Amino acid sequence: MLGASYALIALGFALVFGIMKKINLAYGSSLLLAASISVCLNEIFVLSIFVNFVTLLIFSVIINIYIERMCFAWHTGPAGILPSMIASFAIWMQLDELAFRLIPDRTHFFKGIELGSIEIGQLFIKIDALFHFAVAISAMFLLYLIMMKSKFGLLMRAASENANTAWFLGARISSLGISAFALAGLLGGLAAFLILSANSQITPMFGMWCTFKGLVAMMLGGVGSLIGAVLGGLILGLLEAFVLFKLGVEFRELATFGVLFLILIIKPGGLLGGKSFMLIQEIEERV
Amino acid sequence: MTVLSIKNVSKRFGGVLAVDDLDLTVDKGEIVGLIGPNGSGKSTTINLICGVFPMDKGSIKLFDNDLKGLARYERSHLGIARTYQNIRLFGGLTVWQNVWIATRQNGIGSFAKKLGALFLRSQKSVEAVDELLDLFALQNKANIAAENLSFGEQRRLELARALASEPKLLLLDEPAAGMNSEEVQELRDRIFKVRDLGISVLLVEHVMELVMNVTDRINVLNFGKKIAEGKPNAIQGNALVQEAYFGS
Repeated sequence: MLGASYALIALGFALVFGIMKKINLAYGSSLLLAASISVCLNEIFVLSIFVNFVTLLIFSVIINIYIERMCFAWHTGPAGILPSMIASFAIWMQLDELAFRLIPDRTHFFKGIELGSIEIGQLFIKIDALFHFAVAISAMFLLYLIMMKSKFGLLMRAASENANTAWFLGARISSLGISAFALAGLLGGLAAFLILSANSQITPMFGMWCTFKGLVAMMLGGVGSLIGAVLGGLILGLLEAFVLFKLGVEFRELATFGVLFLILIIKPGGLLGGKSFMLIQEIEERV
Repeated sequence: MTVLSIKNVSKRFGGVLAVDDLDLTVDKGEIVGLIGPNGSGKSTTINLICGVFPMDKGSIKLFDNDLKGLARYERSHLGIARTYQNIRLFGGLTVWQNVWIATRQNGIGSFAKKLGALFLRSQKSVEAVDELLDLFALQNKANIAAENLSFGEQRRLELARALASEPKLLLLDEPAAGMNSEEVQELRDRIFKVRDLGISVLLVEHVMELVMNVTDRINVLNFGKKIAEGKPNAIQGNALVQEAYFGS
């Protein structure tokens, strides 16, 4: 049941890519670096699980604000999409390199919450997975409320649509950008902690893993749709488990990207993202 | 009481003097027109007041506050609101949300109060939005995405959104562009209603039918210089103005 973990990661990507419309390639590595720092601190000072959790969240938020200041604060509006994406590429390399220095060995023990598993007859369920699923669903609802109903979320969406106009309405664009990235960092930190707890180890590939699985899950479900991100994560998890069981590990990635390819051909906006894709097309036609 | 006073303001873009030593005042409850041929510096004046770019020379004051060096959001907080020549709504948000995000809390609250305003709907702001939607006849469209409105409705929504921040001064940049005669009549009535709320209006407009019927005073620009100022009928007969417009 990796699906629930994918859903968690995909939610973070849906927030950053879909709603805020910032192509932040460094998001996955920001989670890796935050986790690496907390692992390092834990190895030096031997901290409690709770302190571990809090440091991970704090560093995830700080690193995401750093990304915002370095890449996205300078480039607003449609003209800024490409430069900010390329800048985030550079930050991705930088964060990955830092993380590799911090945890040079291949795998490190990650101290997190440990949840057992239950057996119901033939069914063997890890409580981790259920817990991830519950957190993903509640995070989805909370995010939905914040982004669609609160003034903070609406201003954030307004600013991503037209920063200049939002400015004239009295919105402080810079602090809005910082808060948006801090929120994404908080969500990502939570997801990273839960996933690493379940694995009870961290490798330097975690950042890349987040980026690929999160992006694929988000694109499957539909860009910009929170429900789609969770759905895409679950579908991806089920698919991988099925292929692993039927065809073996070498076909897993092949099947994943094959299905993504098919869905993008049939429904280019993703399963639930049709509307947002049409909008982009419409805007381009108008211009 | 003077709401807006512009003194000796100049703005140069490369070799072009877009605004040249301009003086302009708007009094409380007054509707002032700003007209002139294309490229005469009208929009530049609006942009200078809003702080899109800095001015080279002179001073702009809102009441007693010097606007020099203030960021755009700070000017908005002081009480300036504007609409755009080409409509700029937030298409993905509903009509109601478009207006609501522009409302703000009056007075200085504690940090917790400000935070609360970002996440909760205060009764006051909800009432204010409903009132504005009523005023602009958009109440039955409240939950429609702004991009699905008709052109005239979008113009009305932009006005409603500008008023939601409870401005002291409203800058209208060609609000009647693309409107038919009937819609211009409606717009005129709405501008009067805005004035009745105690808000001063600076109107940049090409549609003479609107400018001549709604303004108390008109300023005429040509090549960035003010060439005439006066009551609408006086402007109509002014030889300099006719020359600027018709080149005769």
